[in-house]
Amino acid sequence: MTTATTVVDVHGLEKTYGKANERQYKALKDINFSVAEGEFVGIMGASGSGKTTLLNMLSTLDTPTKGDVIVNGHDVTKMRGNQLADFRAQEVGFIFQDFNLLESLTAEENIGLPLALKGTASKIMDQAIHEVAETLSIADLLQKYPAELSGGQKQRVAAARAIVHHPSILMGDEPTGALDSTSARELLDLLTTINQKQAMSVLLVTHDPFSASFCQRILFIKDGQIGSELKRGSQDRAAFYQQILNELGTFNE
Amino acid sequence: MLGKLALAGIKNRRRDYLVLLAGLTMSAAIFYMFANLATNRAFIKANAVVSQASLIFGFGAVLLILITVVYIMYANSFLLSMRQHDYGLFMMLGATRKRVGELVFLETLILGTIATAIGIVLGLLMSKFLVGFLLNMLGLHLAHLSAFYVPAIIATAVLYVGLFILASLFNLIRLTRTTVLKLLHSDEQANQPKVKPFRQLIQGTLGIIFLAIGYWALAAITTLQMTAIPLALVTITLGTYLLFRATILVIIRGLRRTAWAKKHLNGFLLGQLNFRVHNYTRMLTIVSLLFAMALGAITVGSGYHRQLPMMAKTIGTYTIAVHDKTPAEQKLMDQLHVAYTATYTQKRQGKAVYYNGDEIAKQPVEQQRYKKSGQPEAHLYTQSLKDFKKSGTQDMDFMALALGKIGAYTPKILSAEQFAKQTGKTVTVTTIRVKDLQQDLKPLKQLNKLENKRFAAPASMTVGSYQGYEMMNGFFGGLEFMGYFLGIAFLAMLASCLMFKILSGAPGDQRRYRMLYKVGVRQNLMRWGIAKEIGILFLIPGIMGVIDVLFGLQMFKPLMGAPMSPYLGIGSTFLIFIGLYVIYYLITLALYWRIVLPKTTTD
Ligand SMILES: Nc1ncnc2c1ncn2[C@@H]1O[C@H](COP(=O)(O)OP(=O)(O)OP(=O)(O)O)[C@@H](O)[C@H]1O
Ligand SMILES: [Mg+2]
Repeated sequence: MTTATTVVDVHGLEKTYGKANERQYKALKDINFSVAEGEFVGIMGASGSGKTTLLNMLSTLDTPTKGDVIVNGHDVTKMRGNQLADFRAQEVGFIFQDFNLLESLTAEENIGLPLALKGTASKIMDQAIHEVAETLSIADLLQKYPAELSGGQKQRVAAARAIVHHPSILMGDEPTGALDSTSARELLDLLTTINQKQAMSVLLVTHDPFSASFCQRILFIKDGQIGSELKRGSQDRAAFYQQILNELGTFNE
Repeated sequence: MLGKLALAGIKNRRRDYLVLLAGLTMSAAIFYMFANLATNRAFIKANAVVSQASLIFGFGAVLLILITVVYIMYANSFLLSMRQHDYGLFMMLGATRKRVGELVFLETLILGTIATAIGIVLGLLMSKFLVGFLLNMLGLHLAHLSAFYVPAIIATAVLYVGLFILASLFNLIRLTRTTVLKLLHSDEQANQPKVKPFRQLIQGTLGIIFLAIGYWALAAITTLQMTAIPLALVTITLGTYLLFRATILVIIRGLRRTAWAKKHLNGFLLGQLNFRVHNYTRMLTIVSLLFAMALGAITVGSGYHRQLPMMAKTIGTYTIAVHDKTPAEQKLMDQLHVAYTATYTQKRQGKAVYYNGDEIAKQPVEQQRYKKSGQPEAHLYTQSLKDFKKSGTQDMDFMALALGKIGAYTPKILSAEQFAKQTGKTVTVTTIRVKDLQQDLKPLKQLNKLENKRFAAPASMTVGSYQGYEMMNGFFGGLEFMGYFLGIAFLAMLASCLMFKILSGAPGDQRRYRMLYKVGVRQNLMRWGIAKEIGILFLIPGIMGVIDVLFGLQMFKPLMGAPMSPYLGIGSTFLIFIGLYVIYYLITLALYWRIVLPKTTTD
């Protein structure tokens, strides 16, 4: 794992909310970590610990106050305007807790959006959409509108949209948050499959130990800092789940 | 407590409220100005040379009221769309429906009352300055126009406050009928209209048939008379609605299947339109009609005015008649470019006026003949004295040479000897026909003034085509003024109707564009996407409106006879109008961008 190339490299990342003359809040303090290619990394932490903030920095939805974020060789902190948009469109796949599907578009059109933005030819686009739809078993849902889909189905469509353009990293901010346990389980299995079959790096933010047990490595954030780290190694998921629970027990004290 | 919360909600969206308030204020101001013009009795009496003017103003007022109703409807739905999320939240937090209902009612009413009050004040100011300016530009002078007129204030206040009470009630009912959940997620509901080919085909065909009937009715106004306009209004409305319903969705669906739809944001654009257009059909229909009325009003008004000199020739056989010319008048007459002139001596006695046959034989009276169609012939003709005695003396223009308090004297033609013996008041009258009316307008105007001062003729009769021209100029100038006024007012309101309807969808779009931002869509791509989407919504009624006008102008063909044509020189009028429409589009677009586009850096 150490020999693999890194996809995400974070150095001395800080984020302070609020302008200089206002009341300020330091949400992230000196964060350092990296994600290797093909790794499945989880980020855990209590509510308000800074998980979403961290993910927003990585996905360029927000800009850090200090530090470097390098994703797939691009220094994200140095990008501006269109570069940022293009970076999000090409390098990052994102799954949101609230799906973020456009309700005016069919599932197929939603999935195709990242490709359309690239200007992909429509034939290649169709092929890519159907491929990913097969993988996520949503081929029969393609013509439906989001309003006609269940939560689990919506999230699978969102996942399809996140990976259809083969981004270098897939990020999810509590993607199972709005799903029931069966759907959540299905989605996590899917993420694992994607991670293994396509060797796509996955960064999963969650506060749920069950979801976290699907990861290979877990970073625990507390008060804007990485407190500890857990590696799954060769244990099976159930054992890892137990380890996470133990860690949370001590971590939260 | 709830009141405070509501106020906070309003504060958060104060810019949107300002837009709404500004729109309503403008609408009230426009209405006041028009009401002032239409109901100000002193003003109408002084200017309505022809009684039809007040009829036209009345018709204009009805149209204006109609569009105002529609306008307030859309403004209200915009207001509701801004607020329903908050209201839903209040209810979820445990506020009773009754309490929230009161809040809604009060909010709408307060907003409406403020808008009406400011609007009337603004209308007063605009009446004082703007109307005068517009009249000046058109070279018109309307007497007795005072900006402050109490009945107009009352009319405006009653109409607007009344409409706002209705709107408040409507909001109240609407809110108490929908569930809290629906209010909270009002902008997330997807309704995907179904396309049913057979029904669509029937709708389309019916639409075209209705439109054809409407356009035919306008062209056949001479045979249909007064039924033409209501018939056209109903059929064109229905036709436009059905046509929009039948075609727009099908076109969008068709486009969605093409490869073009899979490039950049095109798919999203079509999705948005597909999502919207169905709900918009009714409004697009109304807007296209208003567009047509506004453009039509301006086109006809300015067309009349522009083409009037063409018609002046046919009003009378001579341009001006001067009685017992004075040296000052002679000087002015020398400046004219004369095509034909004649001088007759009259002897007026009792109810008759006597002419010397010799004079008439030497300078025959020019007369106008009419074709069977009622159109005047291109050239004047003269008769021999014998024929003239038989029929020529009945000629209106000839009779008008001798007007008294009792009306026209009866012309009698005598031989030279008889004429010499005839007693009575002697008057010499000189008739002049100029080569080109436009060329001699200045001296003619002065001559006419002098004549009018010396002989207070009955107002309803005219002597010479110049006087007719001047009168019609006033009347048609008034028409033109009305055309511009109504046209601009309609345009302002219809564009803000469209604006409000589009802006009502903004909160929902805000989320959508936020999503696009997250997915990595470039800012300028989103800008373009929005520009196209709104552009199409403006374009559809625009095109339909232009088509309506092109057919609708047929209606004025009988009124604007031979040398004139309702279609003459409409290009420039169209350009000005479309320019104004584009400005409205740009304003809407700028507002939309501001509301909808996500900030590039979050904080
Ligand atoms: N835009 C903002 N302005 C100011 N403070 C913020 C902003 N966004 C987040 N914060 C603060 O930063 C801290 C971290 O927030 P963040 O959203 O990252 O938490 P989180 O770990 O994702 O929590 P949760 O599990 O509840 O989603 C919180 O204390 C929050 O109050
Ligand atoms: Mg979070």
